[in-house]
Amino acid sequence: MLFTFLGHQWIAFTRSRGKNTNIVVQVIMGLAILYLLACAVAAGVFMGKILPAAFPNKDVIVVFNGLILYYFVLEFLSRLQLQELPTLSVVPYLHLNIPKKKIVGFLNIRALFSAFNLIPVFIFFPFCLMNISGKLGVSVALMYLLSILSLSVFNNYLALYVKRISMVNMIFVATGLFLLSALGLLEYFKVFSIAAVSNTVFSHIAVFPALALVFPVLAAVIFMVNSRYLSNNLYAEELSSGEKRKSSTDYPFLDRFGEVGALAAVEIKLILRNKRSKSTVSKGLLFVFYGFLFYKTQFLDKNQFLMMIFAAVFMTGNMVMLYGQFMFGWQSAEFDGILTSRISIKTFIKAKFLLFTLSSTVLTLVVSLYGFISWKILLIQFAAYLYSVGIASVMVLYMATRNYKGIDLSKGSSFNFQGVGATSMIMGLPVLLTPLAIYGLVNYLSNPFWGLAALGLIGLAGLFTRNYWVDILVKEFNKRKHKIAEGFREK
Amino acid sequence: MIIEINNLKKVYAGRTVVDITDLKFHAGETIGLVGNNGAGKTTLFRMLLDLIRPDGGEILSKSLNVASSDQWKAYTASYLDEGFLIDYLTPEEYFIFIGSLHNMSLAHVTDYLQQYMEFFNGEILNSGKYIRDFSKGNQNKIGIAAALMQNPELLVLDEPFANLDPTTQIRLKALVKNLKVTHSVTTLISSHDLNHVTDVCDRIILMEKGRIIKDILTNENTLQELEAYFSEKTV
Repeated sequence: MLFTFLGHQWIAFTRSRGKNTNIVVQVIMGLAILYLLACAVAAGVFMGKILPAAFPNKDVIVVFNGLILYYFVLEFLSRLQLQELPTLSVVPYLHLNIPKKKIVGFLNIRALFSAFNLIPVFIFFPFCLMNISGKLGVSVALMYLLSILSLSVFNNYLALYVKRISMVNMIFVATGLFLLSALGLLEYFKVFSIAAVSNTVFSHIAVFPALALVFPVLAAVIFMVNSRYLSNNLYAEELSSGEKRKSSTDYPFLDRFGEVGALAAVEIKLILRNKRSKSTVSKGLLFVFYGFLFYKTQFLDKNQFLMMIFAAVFMTGNMVMLYGQFMFGWQSAEFDGILTSRISIKTFIKAKFLLFTLSSTVLTLVVSLYGFISWKILLIQFAAYLYSVGIASVMVLYMATRNYKGIDLSKGSSFNFQGVGATSMIMGLPVLLTPLAIYGLVNYLSNPFWGLAALGLIGLAGLFTRNYWVDILVKEFNKRKHKIAEGFREK
Repeated sequence: MIIEINNLKKVYAGRTVVDITDLKFHAGETIGLVGNNGAGKTTLFRMLLDLIRPDGGEILSKSLNVASSDQWKAYTASYLDEGFLIDYLTPEEYFIFIGSLHNMSLAHVTDYLQQYMEFFNGEILNSGKYIRDFSKGNQNKIGIAAALMQNPELLVLDEPFANLDPTTQIRLKALVKNLKVTHSVTTLISSHDLNHVTDVCDRIILMEKGRIIKDILTNENTLQELEAYFSEKTV
């Protein structure tokens, strides 16, 4: 029975729309996965050389011991964000003559098929086999392997359990987040160190290998807790969403924009009330931390802004790029309704511009905090803002008129390639490269500040000629609207 | 005459799904479209609403081609399927949004919804649910009510009786008949339910494989005539 289930899953995977139609996406996905695995393997194989180089004054084993729990804490957080619950796939089986136990068993096994469970094997196993077994003996190395494997399984089921509970209970999530951030702060202020705890635990295992057996026991306990919860709550309704009363909302601020504002308000609701859009946008918000990576004082002092422009465009325009990438596919489900309603296409397009302008403005205000690092950053970001609003938004919408793939809003966005077409794949390139080219050229001809000015002015020009661009977009849209609507109707 | 169809043709993968040489709908008519699956009813509706590009011919709405002008949207309301609903809105938000497109104020919309309290049977308004969480039948009701709210001259409904409970089916029939009298609305209905169509419509168009094979004004023998046609088909 289990194999039948797994067989069905495999068929569902190979036959899902968008997977077998788009070879380009498949190839790129495959390459990305291979790259990640190669990185993990390389990190594992060369860990014996990397660790002494990174921490020359410390004992390699101590560093490695400290790393283990640290890794699993971070992994747990990423699992919470990225790992998908394999629950909806069982709905078609619930009403059939299949014992509950088998379905729960399937869900548990299915959950193990995750890249997360593979990565620790690649990262930690080589070091254990090559270094630990040499220095501390084979039996200790075996116990290390057992602990790491058990920790991975423990994390796997704990993350799924937490995800299942948190769908029902928001207070649980809030407490969890509070605890985690408290732990993070303690770690940051060196009050408490995961690495030290980890090192203590594993140095004890090195002395008393039998201690490692506690990890498989923990994994077994969480496995049972998870199974029990599943078999008690195996209802499609309870596995998916909580029954909370939904209320109508209103954005009075948008009323002043008339019909355009009303459409933008509907689209804001689209973003907030659907899983895929919500996760796309909330992940996009994480990019406001890009500044910490790219704004470096040594480059600011020398007025080398090129890479900073990249970061600034990405931060001020991330909604334009990440959300705009799948335009108009977000509205694929109601696209026929939009076309037959009294909304003119011009209003429709203008509403998109309003949405982009609002989002970029808010994001720019937020990232203005980087101005504390240097006033030059404010200039860079303002130029990037004008570019995002004036030029990038037009480019994105122009490409949107060539996107015929609808989006299924009910799925999460992590590793979700549904709705990814040729246009959405290549879209980022021109949008990100154009500002670099403009700046690079003017910087080469005169100086960096004129480069920024040129970028800002071009953005401003786009902004002032917007009506012209709207007309062009309407024309492009009308040329292809039947094809777009047809593509969106195919689910 | 409100709709005029000339030499309309649509071909999918070499198979003709709609092929209509000449068809006219007059203002105030209630027209029923019947035919088995694949007869081309929905495709015809989609072309009428400019959702599909015809491979040949044209559809004129008040003598303007629907594919090249937007004018028809001002007086045409339609509900074909859930693809017409914005499913992440609450019904109230949806009605207000649709109302705003027709310059209806909030009070206006609320007022309008009052008269459909009976039609909604207390299940739609103040339910605290998004449209996507309603049953098919209730989604249907929301779509139909939103279409009626636009105060159209031309109303297009695809299988409106499907998924509706018997009480609502009867209410819907009364509504459509009433609209014809009070506002002389032209209504286009497709349905598999011959009883309902012959009851509501004063003209029945029978389609088969994209062609119109019967175009009759409803009389007391129409139901029998249609039943005879469809039962022969099964043999």
